[in-house]
Amino acid sequence: METALKESYIQKVNRYMGLQREDARISKSYLFVAFVALLLGGILGLLQGLNRAGMLELPYWLNYYQVLTAHGVLLVLVLTAFFTIGYFYAGLSHTLGGLLPKVRKMAWIGFSLKIVGFVFAVIPILLNQASVLYTFYPPMAASPYFYIGLVLIVLGVWMCAFGAFINVAHWRKNNRGQNLPIFSFFATGVFVLLFFGSIPVAIEVFMIIPWAFGWVETINVMLSRTLFWAFGHTLVNIWYLTAVSAWYVIVPKVIGGRRFSDTLTRIVVILLVVMNIPGGFHHQIVDPGISQEVKFLHVFMSLSIAFPSLMTAYAMFSVFERTGRKQGGKGLLGWYKKLPWGDVRFLAPMIAMIAFIVGGAGGIVQSTNQLNQVVHNTMWIVGHFHITVGTSVILTFFGITYWLVPYISNRTLTPKINRLGVIQTFIWTVGMLFMAGSMHYVGLLGAPRRTSYTTYGESATAMGWDPFMILIAIGGVLLIVGVLLQVYAVFHLMFRAPKGKTEFPIAEREEHDTYTPYWTERWGNWIVIMLLLIAMGYVIPIVDFTINAPPGSPPIKTW
Amino acid sequence: MKQSLIGLLLFIVLSLPPVVTLLESIMIIHMHMQMPLLVIAGALFGRYFQIHFPHFWEKWNGNGIPGITLFVIIAVYWSIPRTMDDALTYPSVEVFKFMSLFLLAGVPLYDSWKRLNVTLKNSVFILFTILFLSMGWLYLNVTQQLCNNYLLIDQITLGWGSAAMGVCIAIYLLYTTFTDPSQYE
Ligand code: HEM
Ligand SMILES: [Cu+2]
Repeated sequence: METALKESYIQKVNRYMGLQREDARISKSYLFVAFVALLLGGILGLLQGLNRAGMLELPYWLNYYQVLTAHGVLLVLVLTAFFTIGYFYAGLSHTLGGLLPKVRKMAWIGFSLKIVGFVFAVIPILLNQASVLYTFYPPMAASPYFYIGLVLIVLGVWMCAFGAFINVAHWRKNNRGQNLPIFSFFATGVFVLLFFGSIPVAIEVFMIIPWAFGWVETINVMLSRTLFWAFGHTLVNIWYLTAVSAWYVIVPKVIGGRRFSDTLTRIVVILLVVMNIPGGFHHQIVDPGISQEVKFLHVFMSLSIAFPSLMTAYAMFSVFERTGRKQGGKGLLGWYKKLPWGDVRFLAPMIAMIAFIVGGAGGIVQSTNQLNQVVHNTMWIVGHFHITVGTSVILTFFGITYWLVPYISNRTLTPKINRLGVIQTFIWTVGMLFMAGSMHYVGLLGAPRRTSYTTYGESATAMGWDPFMILIAIGGVLLIVGVLLQVYAVFHLMFRAPKGKTEFPIAEREEHDTYTPYWTERWGNWIVIMLLLIAMGYVIPIVDFTINAPPGSPPIKTW
Repeated sequence: MKQSLIGLLLFIVLSLPPVVTLLESIMIIHMHMQMPLLVIAGALFGRYFQIHFPHFWEKWNGNGIPGITLFVIIAVYWSIPRTMDDALTYPSVEVFKFMSLFLLAGVPLYDSWKRLNVTLKNSVFILFTILFLSMGWLYLNVTQQLCNNYLLIDQITLGWGSAAMGVCIAIYLLYTTFTDPSQYE
């Protein structure tokens, strides 16, 4: 009792004092790593773009697939994971009155595990012994140490997930009957997905390690692909949910408005968490071994994610319109002029949302079997995820940095850096329009993804791709300028910008918002429903793959 | 009213011939998706009966036990392999399956659930945990084909699926037993 009292007293003090130095250090370290990864990954991306346009031949000691593996791992594993954890830990600390000392320790252990794991994974990549791309599909086999690194990264993520759960449970015990602050509600959803989503990949990696060491001879290829995508797809939705958290909670505050309905927001989070993991099958639409009927049923699972997404689109535009009108916007569309377009904290996520409309439409195309046959494994797919993760998610993250980094560094966003951010957003948008736009188009013309420059013996078809590949390279050059500006902005805000207080912008509820029912808080129930859906989604193919398993494949080094 | 309309609509969609063919082509989808969806449709539609015949329910289902008993009987009946086979073979049995799951399982479930006390609710969960786990055990261990209409692999899949559902309900029961909501709420 006494310790509880003391703790809540400390928490109260901390709340008045604003941020906690020690918690901020955690987020700062995570964001630091994230943006170093952006810088390195971006440079590698440029090399790829130039290579595919036939403008750059990589030196003999640097293999295209090695570069592509590093680009994928740095940008979709390191950048996103470190950003997500740094961002949500800052928000947990802010909205729950500080992290518990135990949780702080867990976050640091998680950080070290991830860094050590990353070093384990990177060394074989640098030695060209793990050019298996970030999806590491068997039967391609990397050095076993690459997979051991992945295990450590997963363990690090679990540490952070459990840290978050402990902090949330602690808050709820001290604030009985209250709804979790909305930001922490999003964080809970994300960490639930991170934990359950990384279980399948952990199982996969434990299948791979003995095989990569040569202790077992063969591996079940289809099973490992399926386990990979149960994770990979969830990871995608973790980024998405992270971006969505900023759209619902932060952006309304930045534009001087209020949040959309609290209950509906929480329902969107719950739906995205519960329905997520079985969605992984849409990455296997042309894989063998899954019957047409099962694939057809899974289309519904995939498209059901469109429902909370449409709700989100509606919610955002309703918030924008309401806020714009309150500030005097007139007429059918006059409100949009009232939005703070010159504020990078709004502009970047706004463009991200617009990009998501395009990305979502592309996603629906790819979920359709017949259309998937046209675009599968072409550059279209590369265009698709540079629009979704490379624009929608990343631009939201960029927009977040302009207040989050000063907040955790006790500094302020200067008008100069804001202007830099606006220019950066503009460059990124144009760069991606060039790059992702041409990628989509050249994909329709048949250009394959994950293939270094080749003319296929001067084939006319392949030569026809070249103009678009050059556009891709031009986009890549713009993007690398964007990367440099963004990385500069982050490090400037972290170490150089003028000292001062920056607010953690969390929007208030709407004045007449309805009461939020407490059942939204019962995460145990949501998790059980989620497990049921996972069981139903996976049981048919997995039983089929294991009972009717082919002999399996020995490890193969294709590079 | 909207709720009962959604239930009716769901029932109609589930009765469309292509939907029926698709869902019944896979054994586990037949048992663990089509049938529960019919029950859910019935439960949504149950609102209609509650509004229009409140006295009937008050009189016959005051403590929820008759309704839940009916639900359990119907649910258990349709988990017998033979009955599934018959539904695929005889159109009349198929019609009975649709109507019974919709009207005799879904509708009473909706009316009864709120009337049951915690012990009874948990008993229902325990019953289904045992049912699903034993079905899982049965289907995983029987080496003969139990249905004319489905292969052995379908049966094994159904076994794993049922076992997994049993485990999920067990997790739920453990979760409600070992967490104390009064600490949080
Ligand atoms: C400077 C900016 C960037 C450039 C120039 C760039 C360029 C490229 C190119 C040319 C490819 C490869 C195509 C192929 O051969 O299949 C690629 C792949 C990829 N990019 Fe980027 N990209 C950039 C930024 C990003 C960002 C910000 C992300 C995600 C956050 C990202 C994620 C990926 C992924 C996941 C792949 C696929 C790797 C694989 O197929 O294994 N990229 N990128
Ligand atoms: Cu996906």
